[in-house]
Amino acid sequence: MADNRARHGGGFIIASIFFSIVLMLIPLPDFLRFFRPEFVALTLIYWTMALPRHVGVGYAWLVGLFMDLVMGGALGLMAFSYAFIVYLVLTFHLQLRQYPIWQQAISIFSLVLLLQMLLLLTSPRVADWNFWLPPFVSMMLWPAIYTILRSVRRTFHVS
Amino acid sequence: MGLFFLDSRLNTFSSIRSNLSIVTYPVQVVAALPREISDWLTETFQNRTQLKARNAELETNNLLNSQRLQKLENLERENMRLRELLGSSFRLRDRVKVAEIVTVDLDPFSPQVVIDKGERDDVFTGQAVLDATGVMGQVVSMNPLSSHVILLTNPSHAIPVQLNRNGLRAIVTGRGVNELLQIDFLPHNADIRVGDLLVTSGLGGVFPVGYPVGTVTTVGFPQGKAFAEISVKPAAQIATSRDVLLVLNSNTVNASSGLITSDENINDGG
Repeated sequence: MADNRARHGGGFIIASIFFSIVLMLIPLPDFLRFFRPEFVALTLIYWTMALPRHVGVGYAWLVGLFMDLVMGGALGLMAFSYAFIVYLVLTFHLQLRQYPIWQQAISIFSLVLLLQMLLLLTSPRVADWNFWLPPFVSMMLWPAIYTILRSVRRTFHVS
Repeated sequence: MGLFFLDSRLNTFSSIRSNLSIVTYPVQVVAALPREISDWLTETFQNRTQLKARNAELETNNLLNSQRLQKLENLERENMRLRELLGSSFRLRDRVKVAEIVTVDLDPFSPQVVIDKGERDDVFTGQAVLDATGVMGQVVSMNPLSSHVILLTNPSHAIPVQLNRNGLRAIVTGRGVNELLQIDFLPHNADIRVGDLLVTSGLGGVFPVGYPVGTVTTVGFPQGKAFAEISVKPAAQIATSRDVLLVLNSNTVNASSGLITSDENINDGG
C-alpha cells in the first residue's frame, strides 16, 4: 500500500490543487477581495519545483483550462498564463530549490506579477493600485504555503 | 494561444464549453459550502426579537409597496390607453424568473457572478438580470445547472440607457475595479445633472425598457477633452444582492391586445 502510494501519490497533488481552487472561490468580505493570493498558481509552482517530472506545462495547462471554465473567462486564458509561469519555473527549478525561502518569495512575487500582467494584456480589465496586491500577498504567504505543501509531500511520500 | 483567440473572437467552443463547465459545478458547490452553512446557522439560531423586528420591517415595506401598486395599476392603465391612442406597441410587464447567486467569488478584476439556474431552466445568452432595485447585468454563458452573469461594473460591459428626465440617450460602461459606472461620449453641452436617474432604453434589444440602471453622481466637463466625464452609481445592489430576477422575454405586445393582467412570477424551485 505504502509502496503503491510512493509510486503514484498524484492524488495528493490533485487534491491540493482542488483545495487551492476552492480557496480561490470562497467568498471573502468586500475589502479583502483584492488581497486574495493566487493559490492555484502557488500550488502549481510548488509542485513543479518539487516534482518537475510529475507536474509540468501540460499539467498547468489543464488546471488553467479548468480555472477558465470556473471563472468564466475566455477559454485558454488562464491555461496559457499558468503554462507560461510553470514553464519558467521548470527552466529555473534547480536554482529556485537552492534559494533561501525569502529569495524564493521574491521570485514568487515576480512570477505572480507576470501572471497578472499576462491576464491584464489578454482580457478586458481595468487595474489601478490594487493590481499589485495579489503578487504581494502571494509573496508574503509563500513561506507558509511552501511549508504546508512540503509537509504534505513528506508525510505522504509523494514523489 | 490559438485556443483563446478562437474562443474569444469566434465563439467556436460555446457548445463544448457549456458541456465541459458541468465539471466545474461541484467545485463551485464545495466553495460555496462554508458560506451556506454559516448562513443556515444564523438563520436557524436567530432569536425571537430579531425575527420579530425583521417581520415588522417587512410588513411595513409590504404595506408601502401595495399602496404604491394601487397607484401604479391606475397609471399603467392610463399609459396603455394613451399608447393605444398613439398606436404604439409596448409591454409594461415582463415575466421574470427568480434565481439565486451562488456564493463564490470570481476574479475581482473582471466582475462576474454565478447563478443557480442554467440551460435546464431555459436561461439563454444575453438574458437580462435584475435585482430588486435595478439592472445587474446579463447572462454570458451557461451550463445545464448554472450560468455566468457579467455585471454592469465589468469593463467589457456596456448598456444603452436613457435619462429619465429628458430622454437623452447614452451608453453606460463598467469601470471594473470600483463600484461605479461611467458614461462615454456625451458632448459637453449635454443636458445631464448630478442626481439624474438613468433607465434602460431597450435599444440594444437585450435589456427590457424602463428599468433603473443608476443615478449620476458626478459630472465633469474637462477642458481640452472632447467628451464629458460622467460617473454613475448603479441602482442595483451589485455587491450584496443574493436573489436576482431573470427577464424571460421582452417581446413587445400590441397595446390593443389588452393588459397582461397577472404579474407572473415563475419560480420553479429547480
